[in-house]
Amino acid sequence: MTPGFPILSAILLCPVAGLAAILLVPRRFETVIKLIALAAASGTVVLSLILLRYFNAADPGFQLIERLEWVRSYGIQYANAVDGLNVSMILLTSIVIFCGILVSWTVTYRVKDFFANMLFLVSGVFGVFMTTNLFFFFLFYEVAVIPMYLLIVIWGSTNKQYAAMKLTLYLLLGSALMFAGFLYIYSMPGARTFDLIALKQNVVFPPDVQNILFLALFLGFGVLAACFPFHVWSPDGHVAAPTAASMLHAGVLMKLGAFGILRVGLYLLPDGARTWAPVIAWLSLCNIVYGAMVATQQKDLKYIIGFSSVSHMGIVLLGIATLTPAGLNGAVFQMFSHGIMTALFFACVGWIYDGCHTRMLDELGGLAKQAPRISVLFILAGLCGLGLPGMGSFVAELLVTIAAVSRYPLIGILSITALLVTAYYVLSAIQKAFYGPANAHHAGFKDVGAFQMVPRVILVGVLFYFGIFPQVFIGWIWASTQALLGG
Amino acid sequence: MTNLFLFGPETILLGLIVAQLGVLLGPRGAAERWSGALTALGAVAAGAAAWATLNAPAAGAFGGTYRIDALSQGYKMLFAAALLVTAIVSRRGARPRLPDGGQVPDGGQAPLPADRAGETHLFLATGTLGMMMMPCAADLLTLYISLELSSYSLYLLASLRRDRRDAEAGVKYLLFGAATSGFMLWGMSLLAGLAGTTSLVGIADASGALAGQPVFLLALVLVSFAFLFKLSAFPLHFWAPDAYQIASTPAVLFIATASKAAAVAVLSRFFIWTGPIQPALVSILGAVAFLSMTLGNAAALVQRSVKRLLAYSSVAQAGYILVGLLSGSLEGYSSAFFYAVAYAVMNAGALLVVLAVSPSARTDDPELRHFDGLAERSPFLALILLLSLLSLAGIPPLAGFTGKWVLFSAAMDKGHWFLVLWGVLNSVVSLYYYLTLVKHVYLEKAADPSPLVLSPSLKALGLAVFVLLVGLGVFPSPLIEFARSAVTTALIR
Repeated sequence: MTPGFPILSAILLCPVAGLAAILLVPRRFETVIKLIALAAASGTVVLSLILLRYFNAADPGFQLIERLEWVRSYGIQYANAVDGLNVSMILLTSIVIFCGILVSWTVTYRVKDFFANMLFLVSGVFGVFMTTNLFFFFLFYEVAVIPMYLLIVIWGSTNKQYAAMKLTLYLLLGSALMFAGFLYIYSMPGARTFDLIALKQNVVFPPDVQNILFLALFLGFGVLAACFPFHVWSPDGHVAAPTAASMLHAGVLMKLGAFGILRVGLYLLPDGARTWAPVIAWLSLCNIVYGAMVATQQKDLKYIIGFSSVSHMGIVLLGIATLTPAGLNGAVFQMFSHGIMTALFFACVGWIYDGCHTRMLDELGGLAKQAPRISVLFILAGLCGLGLPGMGSFVAELLVTIAAVSRYPLIGILSITALLVTAYYVLSAIQKAFYGPANAHHAGFKDVGAFQMVPRVILVGVLFYFGIFPQVFIGWIWASTQALLGG
Repeated sequence: MTNLFLFGPETILLGLIVAQLGVLLGPRGAAERWSGALTALGAVAAGAAAWATLNAPAAGAFGGTYRIDALSQGYKMLFAAALLVTAIVSRRGARPRLPDGGQVPDGGQAPLPADRAGETHLFLATGTLGMMMMPCAADLLTLYISLELSSYSLYLLASLRRDRRDAEAGVKYLLFGAATSGFMLWGMSLLAGLAGTTSLVGIADASGALAGQPVFLLALVLVSFAFLFKLSAFPLHFWAPDAYQIASTPAVLFIATASKAAAVAVLSRFFIWTGPIQPALVSILGAVAFLSMTLGNAAALVQRSVKRLLAYSSVAQAGYILVGLLSGSLEGYSSAFFYAVAYAVMNAGALLVVLAVSPSARTDDPELRHFDGLAERSPFLALILLLSLLSLAGIPPLAGFTGKWVLFSAAMDKGHWFLVLWGVLNSVVSLYYYLTLVKHVYLEKAADPSPLVLSPSLKALGLAVFVLLVGLGVFPSPLIEFARSAVTTALIR
């Protein structure tokens, strides 16, 4: 069953067309600009829901393939396809950008530039998730990274110049390794194409080449996935970024790294992945434990979330490193639910910061009485973060932990202890910020209104939905993760 | 007759030179009024003539000392375009005006001194003629003459100012250039002596027998170093920062676009003629590329003057181009052509903005701080600068990225993985200083927040840069396929 039109390109076209439209609108029509951005984001949501309808979960391979010859002599095609891995990521991206645009309704400074950048960034994200050609993969990857610099430098806070430069240089350092790796793949005997499917079929990667290439690609993608010790850009970047940019970045962009490891690394170089899996497992344990430990010491709400992201991305990486169906399913599920959860986190913190002009725990307090709605939302995100049953993260973390314990018993058990640390910092942050005596510092703080509730409630709803019906999500990805493991 | 038709672009430029001389001899003020328009007209005509002969079969001319094919005509179109852009931005009216309609006072630092307009346009024309002959040269003598014709024009262009410091830098440029051309002559005499002919085809035929000889290698190195001087590759880059700083911005634009592309053209042609590049020469060029990338970027990190920054970035870019060229393959030469076009566009974009900013900065050599708040003063210029810089850093979806992708994939094909890796890592380093400039544009508050009102011609050029940067980045196929077919014909003797 096909939709009769190139649905993936249509999804990609939404933000691109929105961007073009925004560029043409004079900058004083701010509401028009916001409405265009919202229309583009709504388009992606609608189309990705339609995509789910046409997506056949039983088929492990690529479906709905769209292909257009681009540069014939270099084997570059504009080619898109979906499988279980990216269908969920496309949905995640559309939900987060939709909510992100709504949350950004409060932006007043250089409105045109802001929404143009947001749409440009999200075009890159969609592109990476749907393309099957390494040239376009790289192109979209960097398109997703560069607007972040401007978003942070212009609309950011807290040490923004430093954070923006650090983030950009780190991520591009990672992509430099990808660039060299992709060109090396292209120059392999029998390759002369950047098409993933053709590469998989036609090229034999000898084991030692796989080992080196996988390492290069893992390091490249690992930077964006915030793999220890390349995670240092991420807390600074997330703290400095404006709310919607943090939502997109922690919610979606970091997933590009993990997605790249699966889509390119594991797909093309399974032997390399097997060689390096134990190393990745140990590094991811560092992520989980170290991220959680550092989060306990933070005073700034955004830094706590930033380091919790490092910790949660560790769970994704650990799931990948197990190379078992349960682990991989858990990893992809975690990518999705962490994306939604962390977007919700940042959406809440953004509101609190705008109202209270501080994010420091000792300057907050008693918010639950003053602003019950935003408090409930934040607490729900927190409960998801510590893996409460009934929320998406619970199932994901459970799957990864089971897989990890059976594959790497020591690492698995150590990672469980880190979950306790997570519970500690989440609960103590909630307690300090939302309970206790009210702080006079932010006496004028107002709760979120009905309009600004919408994006946040959508995110909560998605978290609950997939927490209660995890089999829906697992059903989408099951066949593809199996195929990825060669099963 | 065919010969003369094929020789059209050069003939038109010769005519232009004569016309410019005539205007110079005319009454006072005639040069200022007419020479710019003449140059623009000549550039368009020469470009059209090159385009008309684009699909003509490859042909030799003038007793085999000259060769015309799709590759040479393609480069000629690029030179003509660069000449046209230079002519447009040299016009006084091209510069931004104050909101009340008046010209911004330029503090005595006009982009072009009014009473030198005639000479400037004359040397632009002679320089372009030299460049157009470079990719066609099939004989050591033609090669030497074309190279010198363009070089001397550039020396004069760069120092057409009356300032004493400028004169010093101009002399430096001249002396460096003269020294390298001396070495090149030495190398050429060795080549001619070894091969027994001055014809490049003859040298190529003899190269098989000469391959192992150190003297032959020395000769090749000496000749290619003269090309590297034009490309401003390490260790022959010393002239670039000074020349960029002293020369008027339109002249810099011409040097950075046309002259750079000419260097790429002549290097490709020389390597195509002399056959597979000697392994030893590959190692030497590899080392030059490595050092150019490293030192160019390192030096650019600490620059305050935007023109010097661009000069050092051009040293690094020379390294990237060499990485592609030393693959010595069809892919290498064709991607070098693609990159030369992309490079001309992105440099033109950056220098257009420099030109637009300099009047209100009251200097022709604006520093980083003069770009503060440009995003508020002119969002359009800020966007052009942003895209040009990102393209120089090789960020998709812009022309510079696609160019680097094809350039480096050619090198990777020949197993130069280390240079490729080093090149992309260097691109990350370069991003630091490009982003520093971007930060000044988008973040810092302007000392003088008055908006910049652009002249229609500058606006049109900016728009063209925008379209080309994005167009070549996203839809590179036509140009890539043209370059491939052009190089394929050029590879056939």
